[in-house]
Amino acid sequence: MGVRVKTGHTILATALGLGLAFGAQAGKYPDLGPLPALKVNAAKAELGKRLFFDKRLSGDAGIACATCHVPENGFGSVKALSPGYPGNGHFRNAPSLINVAQKKVWNWDGRIGTNLNDMTREMITEDYIMNMDMRIMQERIKQDPKYLEMFKAAGMGEPSNGKVRKLIPEYLKTLTSRNAPFDTGKMSAAAKRGMKLFKGKAGCIQCHNGPLASDGKAHNTGVPENFDVFLDPMNHQAFLAFAMFQGIENYMNLKRDPGYYNVTLDKDDMGKFITPSLRELKYTAPYMHNGMLKTLDDVIAFYNKGGGKDSRKSKLLKPLNLSKKEQADLKAFLLSLSGDPLTSDKYVWKEPYPSEYPVIENWTQVKN
Amino acid sequence: MNKTIQTPGVLAAAIAMAVLAGCASQETTAGTSAADKTMAAKVSKGPAPLAPLPAPPIPPDNQQTPEKIELGKLLFFDARIGGDASTGCSTCHEPDQGWAWAEDFSRGYPGTVHWRNSQTIINSAYFPRQFWAGSAASNEKQAKSAAKGGVAGNGEDDIMEARLALIPDYVQRFRKVFGTDWPHIGDVWKAIASFERTMVQRDTPLDKYLQGDKTALSEEAIRGKAVFEGKGGCIQCHNGALTSDQDYYNIGVPPNKRWEEDGLAQITFRFEQYAKGQTEENYRKAKSDWGFYYRSKNEWDKGKFRTAPLRYLKYTAPYMHNGVFYTLEEVVDFYDRGGFDEEGRTTLFTETKSPLIKPLGLTDQEKEDLVAFLESMSGPEIIIEKPKLPEYAPLFTKAELEAAQEAK
Repeated sequence: MGVRVKTGHTILATALGLGLAFGAQAGKYPDLGPLPALKVNAAKAELGKRLFFDKRLSGDAGIACATCHVPENGFGSVKALSPGYPGNGHFRNAPSLINVAQKKVWNWDGRIGTNLNDMTREMITEDYIMNMDMRIMQERIKQDPKYLEMFKAAGMGEPSNGKVRKLIPEYLKTLTSRNAPFDTGKMSAAAKRGMKLFKGKAGCIQCHNGPLASDGKAHNTGVPENFDVFLDPMNHQAFLAFAMFQGIENYMNLKRDPGYYNVTLDKDDMGKFITPSLRELKYTAPYMHNGMLKTLDDVIAFYNKGGGKDSRKSKLLKPLNLSKKEQADLKAFLLSLSGDPLTSDKYVWKEPYPSEYPVIENWTQVKN
Repeated sequence: MNKTIQTPGVLAAAIAMAVLAGCASQETTAGTSAADKTMAAKVSKGPAPLAPLPAPPIPPDNQQTPEKIELGKLLFFDARIGGDASTGCSTCHEPDQGWAWAEDFSRGYPGTVHWRNSQTIINSAYFPRQFWAGSAASNEKQAKSAAKGGVAGNGEDDIMEARLALIPDYVQRFRKVFGTDWPHIGDVWKAIASFERTMVQRDTPLDKYLQGDKTALSEEAIRGKAVFEGKGGCIQCHNGALTSDQDYYNIGVPPNKRWEEDGLAQITFRFEQYAKGQTEENYRKAKSDWGFYYRSKNEWDKGKFRTAPLRYLKYTAPYMHNGVFYTLEEVVDFYDRGGFDEEGRTTLFTETKSPLIKPLGLTDQEKEDLVAFLESMSGPEIIIEKPKLPEYAPLFTKAELEAAQEAK
């Protein structure tokens, strides 16, 4: 493994050996690279887009998917903690939905590992999120002539809540990285140097690998708790409702986000969170599951000191001793993974929604 | 079913039952067996006479205490018992709207409207079952159903319980009343029911009259009582201390036209068909409220609703399960016509319309007297001051959170 040199250079050899070993490790992770293209049905995606921005998909018609997943913010939340449903707050940052269709697990704690249909249902029906009885949602959609027309145009027939759960994921497939310098081969010199660090000295690639720059696995990096979750009863109630529903024991005494523990109920998994993708970071500040790291400088400084404080912290994290220049190069690389903002009407439904439901004429004679 | 039985007593009983059953089948087209028994009772014994209201029944597993009642009162007025913290019990059961809602359909959760009239909670404690089709078996169950219903409170157990745990005054009260460390959602319904059991009215002019004060009713009302118990036939169903036999009838109320005119109402209408378990065929064709049918799924129960109590009526307009009549005069005219509104509309389920409903031939004077009598079943309006609700407070201090952070 090490380079053999004559005695007197053993220390150098060891250092070299370690360096090479580290570099050799980079080869054992799936490399960063372009994302596979997704096939999208245009008519269904257009319909899914109108649904995504429609507040009538929440119980009291107060919020839409886009209320927490804001296009200007990379389809995430601009504040540390996402807004919640009217009447409560929330306890985590809303993750970006750009490239969400490429993931294999969803939510910061990875509790959904099936598909976006299930994920969509969770978002719409959870009491502290959109609190929608989907039977009412279905009837609201049936009352809107524009939806009836769009469903027909997409070959979907009569609206139903099951179909909504297929259409929103189809729209989500359109939210992908566009023209990121990393993908178009237009990285700056600083970004290229940063990539070397990413795959080498900084060790990021150990978890941030593959085309998404995420291994889709859970790790504990020692991110400090966001006290606003527990000091603001509006947020805390959402956290408690979540913990109750997920069956986490002793929830009244929890002073930390259990993270992946929720999935495995293994104490060693307390405080682990799913590696997020590093694409589109330009738009998705603040960072981490609870938005505690405000800027990319903060993130790099966090890793440079070896992460935060947690007895269960991943052994992969250690102080990096990056120079100021190296930190700047790393940041340049991270930003090269961000493409164009997805704020045009190609991705955003900009037409107003009706403020009233029209009446179905001749109601006593027509079929429901 | 018919065995030959030798014992004379049993034979006589069997004959008596056969005769009554025969009478019952002549009187009605069909009915639940409970309805047949009640019908038989009417034929043989006559309806229970009007009577003063006794003390309300208290279930053995939810005894009254002053602290529980006080807690129930707070919760009744607290919209945090609901989905988005806007819609609590008093939102649709407003004290100054007869503890009900003064429109035909109750208001619904924001973004929705309801599809039935909101009933008063006054005297609800006496009813073994709640809701127009009797779908909840107690006040406790009604509270839970209403707090969670999609076009009502739209609340979920987790978030409602979570909120209570973060309101120190509630935590203390629940601990004192129910002995729990943290409030349990099941105890919320108990407390609310306990408060509702104090919302009774036993001293109406009618009660006083029935207890011996012959000056308690006006002459008009006394004449109206005679109509009620005689020519009007009201007492056949509106009987007993409760002024309701607790049974289910189709009296011919026509569908509410709002479903033809209001898109929001159409949405709720279809949702309710789905939610109440209609087959697809029936979901497609339903154009009015099928009432008790949703519970029994028996064809002969279509359009049947529970006999509403007449106490506290003065304050609870509009009337009927779908609120189509805005005044007691309209109601009396409806019955006088044999169950038709002023446009001649009646139930879509003419096959289940009760044969007890027939044109009455009331004179104008008799109608006025009857209304005066109906009004005597209401005492003074019951208004209470809305309580000040307890506030949230953080469960932990910053110091505790910092210590926990250090201990990670």
